[in-house]
Amino acid sequence: MKNNKYSGYFTNGIVKENPVLRLVLGTCPTLAVTTAAINGIGMGLSATLVLVCSNLVISLLRNVIPDKVRIPAFITIIAGFVSVVQMLVKAFLPSIDKALGIYLPLIVVNCIILARAEMFASKNSVLPSVLDGLGMGVGFTAVLTLMGAIRELLGAGTIFSLPVTANFISPMIIFLLPPGGFFVFGMLVAASNAIAKKNGKKAVMHLGCESCPSKEICGKAECVKEEEAGVNE
Amino acid sequence: MNSSTTIASILLAAILTNNMVLSKFLGICPFLGVSKKTNTAFSMSVAVTLVMVVATAVTWPIYNYILAPDYTYLETIVFILVIAAIVQLIEIFLKRYIKPIYNALGIYLPLITTNCAVLGITMLNITNELNFIQSLFNALGAGLGFMLAMLLFSGVRERLETADVPEFMKGLPVTLVAAALVSLSFLGFAGIGG
Amino acid sequence: MPKLTELIKKNKKDIIIPVAVLLAICIVIPLALSLTNKITVDRIAELEEKNSAATMESLIKADTFEKSKFKDSETEFEYFVAVRDGETAGYIFKTSEKGYGGAVSVMTAVNPDGTVKSVAILDVSNETPGLGQNAAKESFYSQYSGKKSGISLLKNGADSDKNEVNAVTGATITSTAVNKAVNKALQNFKTLDLSYADEQGEATDSEE
Repeated sequence: MKNNKYSGYFTNGIVKENPVLRLVLGTCPTLAVTTAAINGIGMGLSATLVLVCSNLVISLLRNVIPDKVRIPAFITIIAGFVSVVQMLVKAFLPSIDKALGIYLPLIVVNCIILARAEMFASKNSVLPSVLDGLGMGVGFTAVLTLMGAIRELLGAGTIFSLPVTANFISPMIIFLLPPGGFFVFGMLVAASNAIAKKNGKKAVMHLGCESCPSKEICGKAECVKEEEAGVNE
Repeated sequence: MNSSTTIASILLAAILTNNMVLSKFLGICPFLGVSKKTNTAFSMSVAVTLVMVVATAVTWPIYNYILAPDYTYLETIVFILVIAAIVQLIEIFLKRYIKPIYNALGIYLPLITTNCAVLGITMLNITNELNFIQSLFNALGAGLGFMLAMLLFSGVRERLETADVPEFMKGLPVTLVAAALVSLSFLGFAGIGG
Repeated sequence: MPKLTELIKKNKKDIIIPVAVLLAICIVIPLALSLTNKITVDRIAELEEKNSAATMESLIKADTFEKSKFKDSETEFEYFVAVRDGETAGYIFKTSEKGYGGAVSVMTAVNPDGTVKSVAILDVSNETPGLGQNAAKESFYSQYSGKKSGISLLKNGADSDKNEVNAVTGATITSTAVNKAVNKALQNFKTLDLSYADEQGEATDSEE
């Protein structure tokens, strides 16, 4: 039984509450870096490392950090780990560093990380928090890699830089450009919604506050009001 | 190139060719989340523009006079904390002295701390090695570009509300496809930025 | 002073503890960062040096590359002198220009006669993948070999004999940036050449 519970913390982020497709968090990097499958992996793993470390530290400190200052404390801790990852990537994987560019330090404001800190790590003990971070990270990495592979295949005819269709079909560059990012992401969400519906779950209708676990932090629940106003129209 | 044309080209590039949202994917959350109605989209983008310019005015000197060259590895952490503090200060200041603006923008301000567009623009100013004045105009342009994208997209979304969308595309998927089309139209500006 | 202790007691939970915790976090984390920085900074620098050396070797065959600096009232730039068998084999300049999404940086090797030996594209990571990033392909940058100062960029139909090169399809802005950067390198070479001519007879390979 106990084992099941722990594996549940891990698998939760991969399928049921996949951060990209189900919670719709972290859309900026999802759209921006997925021009190649390898970039998806690089971004995903960097974020996973930050997520696991910040979940670990925040759950350790959950009884030390006063409620009043928890958000600045979380942001500082997350920013610290992001900077560490940034330096490590620069030192050991310079090509990934170049490909991710400014989106690497921007992991700081990736809402997945703050959301898991706020919703999970600050309320749970260490092991579940680490597993949760790992699961969310794997889910994030998987979707980013899939999306990178799709865009790379359609836009350049390669996957992981290996030619697939490049030699006989002229690639559609538009998939590497920003519109292609929005479009492929839209299709992925549609597919995930269709699968969710088949399994009797709700489709994801909005991005933003409705599905954002950090709504308490950010808008003093004001955005919830707005969502409701939108629904009532 | 004299300085005025440079500033004009920086503004133009930031608003159209290198649009924050549609070509750099920064600030996607408010773009998709708060764009349902034109007036909220407008207030949000005014708040973002304000914070972007003030944040640039503060972070640029901090980076170039305090952090560079030895402590540049603190850039990320210092910038995010400075932005968080600035957002708080702007909120307090507006609440105290300019109540009408606070009433209009107040609820959007806390959302901006973790908005990647603000952190993104302050960092882009550094990586692109812009000088102080150029950075300020780049931030202003980015904010105006954000506003343009938000207003255009909220117009599209207001129409989308009444459109007959196939079942599997309802909700977020069709919003994303609409965003793809708006972004496609912005590709047309690419030729201007020479 | 009973008042003070009372005040402390009263505010302990609301102010003092939160401030102390935040302060502690803000001290510990930058310390950890400076530690990581110490570990990685040398490696990053070494890696950059290695990359730059490897690129230079791919541009021009030489025994050593000597780093020098040029400075006069108008310009200031760094360059490398490639020395082979005790003779100057060429000069290498690193230049960058604004492209579509940010800086585009280029390394140009110039023959002693002032023609381009070869060009390497160092960084186009800010350009559009599939368009601007194609400037890093050999079919584009190899066009520069043998060209002389004042290279013009055409959309297509460039005549190699007329000192012209073709832009990358769909990426005029990135190509323009590369072209400007190469021309700037050639300009730097000219500046250098003139200054050498001024100090006739002096050793050509080092000036500090």
